[in-house]
Parts: sequence; C-alpha cells; structure tokens
Amino acid sequence: MTDKLTTPKRNTLMQQEGGTTKITILLVDENQQRVLALQNALDKSRYHIVHSSAPRLGLVKLVDELQPDLVIIDVESPSRDILSSLSTVSRFNPKPVVMFSENQDTKTIDSSVRAGVTAYVAGHTDTNKIRPILDAAVASFSQTQALREELNSTKQALEKQDVITKAKLQLMQQRRITEPEAYAMLRKMAMDSNQSIENLAKSLVVFWAQQSQDDADG
Amino acid sequence: MADQLKIGYLGLNDAAPIIMAKELDLYAKYELDVHLVRQNSWSTLRDRLHMGDIHAAHMLAPMPLASSLGLGCESTDIFTPMVLSLNGNAITLSTAVVEEIKQSNQLKEIVYPLDASLLKAVVEQRHKRKKQKLRLAHVFPFSCHHYQLLDWLKRGGVNQEDIEFHVLPPHDMHFNLNDQIIDGYCVGGPWNAQAVREGTGITVATSCDIWGDAAEKVLGISYATYESRPEVFQRLINALLESCYWLDSPAHRFDASVVLSSPTYLNAPLDVVCPSLMGICLTERGSPSRDLPNYNIFGNKDNKLNIPNVADAHTFSTYMYSQHYIAALPSEQYLSQIYRSDLISKFALDWD
Repeated sequence: MTDKLTTPKRNTLMQQEGGTTKITILLVDENQQRVLALQNALDKSRYHIVHSSAPRLGLVKLVDELQPDLVIIDVESPSRDILSSLSTVSRFNPKPVVMFSENQDTKTIDSSVRAGVTAYVAGHTDTNKIRPILDAAVASFSQTQALREELNSTKQALEKQDVITKAKLQLMQQRRITEPEAYAMLRKMAMDSNQSIENLAKSLVVFWAQQSQDDADG
Repeated sequence: MADQLKIGYLGLNDAAPIIMAKELDLYAKYELDVHLVRQNSWSTLRDRLHMGDIHAAHMLAPMPLASSLGLGCESTDIFTPMVLSLNGNAITLSTAVVEEIKQSNQLKEIVYPLDASLLKAVVEQRHKRKKQKLRLAHVFPFSCHHYQLLDWLKRGGVNQEDIEFHVLPPHDMHFNLNDQIIDGYCVGGPWNAQAVREGTGITVATSCDIWGDAAEKVLGISYATYESRPEVFQRLINALLESCYWLDSPAHRFDASVVLSSPTYLNAPLDVVCPSLMGICLTERGSPSRDLPNYNIFGNKDNKLNIPNVADAHTFSTYMYSQHYIAALPSEQYLSQIYRSDLISKFALDWD
C-alpha cells in the first residue's frame, strides 16, 4: 500500500521535456491582473502556462489538445460546469483543479480541499505563496489519484462479482435451475452474443429492473 | 432570534419557490433569517453544499444521488426532503437546423412537439456529406435535461453516437446558439424563451412532451448540516412548501415573474421569464405558442407532488448505469435514504 503511494502506477502529471519535468497549467480566468500576477509568480522553467479567458466551448477543445496537468479556474466562473463535465468523461484524465476564491476564510478553504477541490487560492493572490500551493496541489493529486485507482479497481472487481451473482440468482428463480446451470446459461448467452459475462449480466439486471418498474407503472 | 441559513440557487424560473419565500417573507414567518446566494455553476453550488458553506440548495433532481455516489466529486451524504418543482425544461434548436429538418424531410411546416425521427434525416445527411455532427448541449452530466435529450433522440431512432454532446451553463446557452457554437440545447426556463424572442432558436419539444410530469429540482441538504439542527430545516421545508402552494395559483405566477426578472435574481426581460411560468411555451418567433398548463409545476397540498419519490431515484440510477457511471444499481433502501419521503410533515400537507 505504502509502496503504491510513493510510486503510482500511472503518473499522469509529469511530462518530460528537454530533460526537465515540466507541468502544463491551463489558466481559465478573465481577471487580467490576476493572470499577470500568476504568470510572473510561476517559475517558467518548471511550469508551462497557457491562458484562456471566456473560453465557452473552446475550453473542451483546449483541454483535449493541451492535456494540462493542472487547471486553475475562478470558483465563480460559469465555465466550471464545462470543466467538471470533462472529468466525468473517460477519455479525459481527471485533472486537479485549483480555484480562486474571494472568500479568505481559511476554514472554507480547508473544508473545500477535503471536499475534493485540490486547492484554493484566496482572493488577493500573494504571488510568493502560489508556488508552494501549486506544488502541493500536484503532489497531493498524484497521491489521491493513485489511491483512487486502486480503490476503483478493487470496487470494480467486487461489483463485477456482484452483478454476475445477481443475474445468476434471478435466472435460478425464474427458471428453477441450479447455480451451475444458471452460470452455464449466462456463459452460453455471453458467448452467443459475443460479449463478456459481466456485460451480459449487467444488461440482464438492468432489463429486469426496467421490466419490474414497467410492471409497477403499468 | 431567527435562525440563519444560506441557500444557493441558479438563475432559473424554477428557483421561484426559494426566491418567492424570501419576497413573501415566508422565511421570516418561520423564524428563519435566510440569505440567498446566486451561483453561476452547478459544480460550485454542489461544492459549497458539500463543504457546508451553504446550508441548502436548489438542485437538479439527480444531483443528490450523484453526490452520494461520488460521481464527479468526492462522495458526500446529500439528501432531499422535498421536491421544489416538476417539468420546465425544453429542447430548443437553432433556426438553421429547423430549416435543415424541413428540407431533409421535404416539409413546409413543422408540427410541435417535433418528433426526433425528423432529425434523423439531418443526422444522416450530415454523416453522408462528412459534415459536422449535430452539437447539442445540456446543463450537467447528472441532470434530467441530459436524460430527456437522450430519450427524445432514442425515441426518434437517432443514434447517440451521431450527436456531439456538450455541457454549458444555462444562461450561456442562447449566446452559444447565436454564435453557432452549438445547434441546440435542452435547458430550463427562461432560457428557451430567450432564444425564441431573439429569433435565433425554435423550441421544438418540452420535457412534458418527453417525460410527462417529472420531478425537476429538489431541495438538497447534507446530512451533516441537517443533523446538527433538524428542527430548523423542518421550518425551512414548511416555508418552501407554503411558497410552492402560493405559486400554484395562476394569478400569482405573473407577480412571481416580475420579481424573478429583476436584476437581483434572473436579470432577464419579463417577456422571457413570464411565458413558461404562465403555462405558455413559445415555439417560434411569429408563430402561435403552445398552451402547456403543466410547463412549470410547483405542487399543492392535494397532489402531494413535493414528496420525493424513490422511483425517480431508481430511474436516475438506471441512466447512470447505462452510461457506465456506476457498475451496479443501488438498492431501494440506499435510494430511500437520499430521496426521503418521510420528512414533509403531515401538518404541512393539511394546511388550509
């Protein structure tokens, strides 16, 4: 467990560039002053900064092309939903998101970090404080990401077993057959329809659920 | 002294119960000092609710489930004791796409609600000519808008893969339509009427046409916040129920429209805010509108529509499942802890 923490299987955050590790940052902010302050504060040998203001849908394209390691966005920006939808689409890797907030309350910042936002930068950006915040954001993100991946694969293994069991039980009840017979039936149906047993079991469970709801509705 | 509460909402017609409770002094009547916080995005509204920065929120009906399951966020125990509104969404397409529909199907006129099967010819022609896929936007991955759009397309035999889906903030939809960045969208009022008034969009179908009557917005609360003072939230529920019941009267809907359209709240023209609240669906500029008495429903004490229904939660989970956000369907018991049907008191339902 601890090994995995320090050496994540897939580290999406670092990109090798000319021998040094550079972090690509996408900055989504309409406040020009803050953009300038940030750009000056950040070490250009370490960070590659791309700025975008009022991006609307262009943001999707930009994230797709740029594949940034870190996104910095104003917490009040309406574009947040565009961005949050990206992290739920599988073709995009989740990105750590750092946010600006006019709210200087450290308690709020603390709890928001715990709520899953990687880091908050308070309203008046003290440029000296930004670098350590970004460094910490990247570090903590890669750690959580490694943990999350492990948790996900464990969860998926459990859920896979669960859905197959459900489908088996239902078949046993419906057709009054034994467990091995039910499993054999699932396996044959999966082979005939050219899909994995898990996928077949999933669609059966959804189908039955829909059916019982239709019965209840109708 | 009145108990202080912060409530988050997005600038939409169906925030009316939350806004009108303030304007009608209903919060004060229940000894609550409520501060309304308008939010620009569903994500920030959700994060604020999760972290306890706001105490209750105007939420998309599938959101409490998405929060509990940790979809797109850290898993947080959010639940709803009350449905705030039913229906209110609609699909608006750009005038150019509607023209394309007419040409592809050799039609002179379109009958509303538009059957998505007519869209199929457009999709196929675009595919054949290697043109840009149709770009349709909704407001959040876990929203009725998204699911209604999918159902509408599916019923018309349009393949999901042939459409490019996007997420945009509700109040930005009509700008994007105008700039031809998207070809259409599914959104709540008043942002359909806005595009019709501007002459850039045509509202072709409403959520009532696709789903019939269905819960749209709910009151979202985190268990952690609720459990610290359940009695305060009981009073909040009563205040909001009274607001919903007040809104049930057509005579009050116009007053509500005037309040909502003001810069404090939606900051939108009255002739854009008003129609859906008055049960009117504008279709196309210069064409007759549709009478839709159920376009926005806020509930009354007889129909008990404000009580959350676990069957809705089950439906949402089925969409999350078929879109591979979850690997198995949650149990009925799990869902009933998120969509609570037991917290609207008998007292509140028996009001005169």
